[in-house]
Amino acid sequence: MARQTRIVANNDTQVLVRMAAPEFDELRSLVFRRYPDAEWATFARFGWHAAASTLVLTLAKVDAPSIGSLDERVDHVAIAEPYTLNTALAAEQHPLAVGVIHSHPRGCPPRPSFIDDDMDGYYSGYFEGFAPGRPYVSLILSQMENELAISGRIWWRKRWLLVTRVVVERNPVQTWIGGRHPGKRPAAPERIARLTAALGREASERLRRSTVAVIGAGGTGSAAIEVLARAGVGQLIIVDPDHLDESNLERVHGSRPEHADRKTPKVTLARDHVLSINPSCKVRAFRGALPQKEIVDAVVCADLALGCTDQQHSRLALSDLAVRYLVPSLDCGVLLEGDDGRVTGQIIQITRFLAADPCALCRDMIVSTRVAQELMSDSERTQRQEAARLARARGEDDNPYWRNQPQLNTVGYLTTAAGAMAAGYAIGWLTGRFDPPFSRLQMNLAAKFLDVTDLEQSPQPGCVCRRVRGWSDQAIADALITPPSHWKPVQTL
Amino acid sequence: MSRERIERELSILREGKQIAELLDTNGRTVVLYRDVPTAGAQFGLPEVADVIVPVPSGYPAGLIDLAGLPVGSPFLARVRGGQNSQGLVEAAGRQWQLASYHPHNGGGGPPWNQCQHGFHTYLDHLIAWLDKLA
Repeated sequence: MARQTRIVANNDTQVLVRMAAPEFDELRSLVFRRYPDAEWATFARFGWHAAASTLVLTLAKVDAPSIGSLDERVDHVAIAEPYTLNTALAAEQHPLAVGVIHSHPRGCPPRPSFIDDDMDGYYSGYFEGFAPGRPYVSLILSQMENELAISGRIWWRKRWLLVTRVVVERNPVQTWIGGRHPGKRPAAPERIARLTAALGREASERLRRSTVAVIGAGGTGSAAIEVLARAGVGQLIIVDPDHLDESNLERVHGSRPEHADRKTPKVTLARDHVLSINPSCKVRAFRGALPQKEIVDAVVCADLALGCTDQQHSRLALSDLAVRYLVPSLDCGVLLEGDDGRVTGQIIQITRFLAADPCALCRDMIVSTRVAQELMSDSERTQRQEAARLARARGEDDNPYWRNQPQLNTVGYLTTAAGAMAAGYAIGWLTGRFDPPFSRLQMNLAAKFLDVTDLEQSPQPGCVCRRVRGWSDQAIADALITPPSHWKPVQTL
Repeated sequence: MSRERIERELSILREGKQIAELLDTNGRTVVLYRDVPTAGAQFGLPEVADVIVPVPSGYPAGLIDLAGLPVGSPFLARVRGGQNSQGLVEAAGRQWQLASYHPHNGGGGPPWNQCQHGFHTYLDHLIAWLDKLA
């Protein structure tokens, strides 16, 4: 490699790198193989998604080196040509971006060295010949004090971009933009002193740096939003297509009768409520639904998402985001059951969607006929319901045309409990202090000992979720759901 | 609608020599299958027919349903659901009548599984539909 001038990167575009826990664990054990004194490296593949102002890269596969792929005799990274060539030839067969990830020795910040500049200058040009138009990714990992520090840069569209944020599923990491220390942490405000005392100062700082997307701002979502805002989460992305009705007043936190009178969008109400609790929280409110593009663009930048709707298509979209874009999520549902005038079941369900978890289809959470009906246009619904009425009149089965869905009954204390629980587990994830100890939790508040169950499920053979983890837009043809063209355009409030 | 997915499914059909194309009509997108084989010969009818199938909202989350024949097609009187119109569609310069045919929705086929089914597998249902003429 010829010595080149130092690489100067742009920072006019935000670059987010996401990793799922299995790939990250593999990566960490690989690149720290010679820790603490010597470096090591691996090639990797990334999916990518170009959002409005952010390039999102998702680690899809670690192409681990084999014996002889790197020179063991030197402390720095020296990659053998056959390993490079094999990676490049493989890139001709897959659609993903290619990158190199290496470690720096203990105590050395993840700041690119002259050798790193040479390496990146060479590889960015080399791989472009095999994978034209795709980003080239270079990441540096380093253990700094108590945190794993990561920096990176991307060669894309003929210029270098700095990685501005790294999000790793269930593993808090610190992003050193351009290899620079992220700066001194501000003192945690007195408002969250008890939380800081309970979880530690690092935890409150991690919450301040975090972004959580809440899909659905009704009973469950508004409770989750309130808990997260009070806990000091730095940014909330709130998504809901509906306005407040009078019947929502029993459940929606922050709602008042005048909101129902004025038909205030639920996201407007939620945003105003958050800012009244925590004025330093940044709120992005979207009137719309997943998987509309503007909303996907926002949610893929969140550390995690909470699904707080009773709509199956929303569940499917969250599951898709978890698999392809590595956005971890918790999906909440509640149900009140009754018989003969007595309440027999008060069910809370929280389902974890990590990238490696079975998707919503594998978990049999989706009824295709119900999703189809949710996604129909009003005119198609009317036509179908009329066809069902005529079928019944003829004495025929009306199911092929329309199936009435029972209204899911719920009450405010149940939605609040579910939303608060989900927000609590989100705080655990964001701070790295605890994980949800379940895959799919169900509990019944009307049963002795709450009848708690955890439904461990396995991926179904042949499901697309096994093939496209971290593939982002490069597996667009494998999306589980697409936004219907008749949906109203997204309003950003 | 996942245009990329549908194009991939149609390319599978093309590999099997079945011509099918994606058409945007007035407010509705359909797949047009050309020259689908029929059992029409026994009734003195054509041995092939063009069929349209609407692309469901949110595809592939929404399941594929229905099938349409040109208005006035003699097959409409003989196929299952052909006399139970589910609406008219303008596509490829013709008017089409959607028949009440629901293979993935209790109509004889397997329940919709988006990991297995698509417009490439729906062809089998169309062939079966045009093979069982009354």
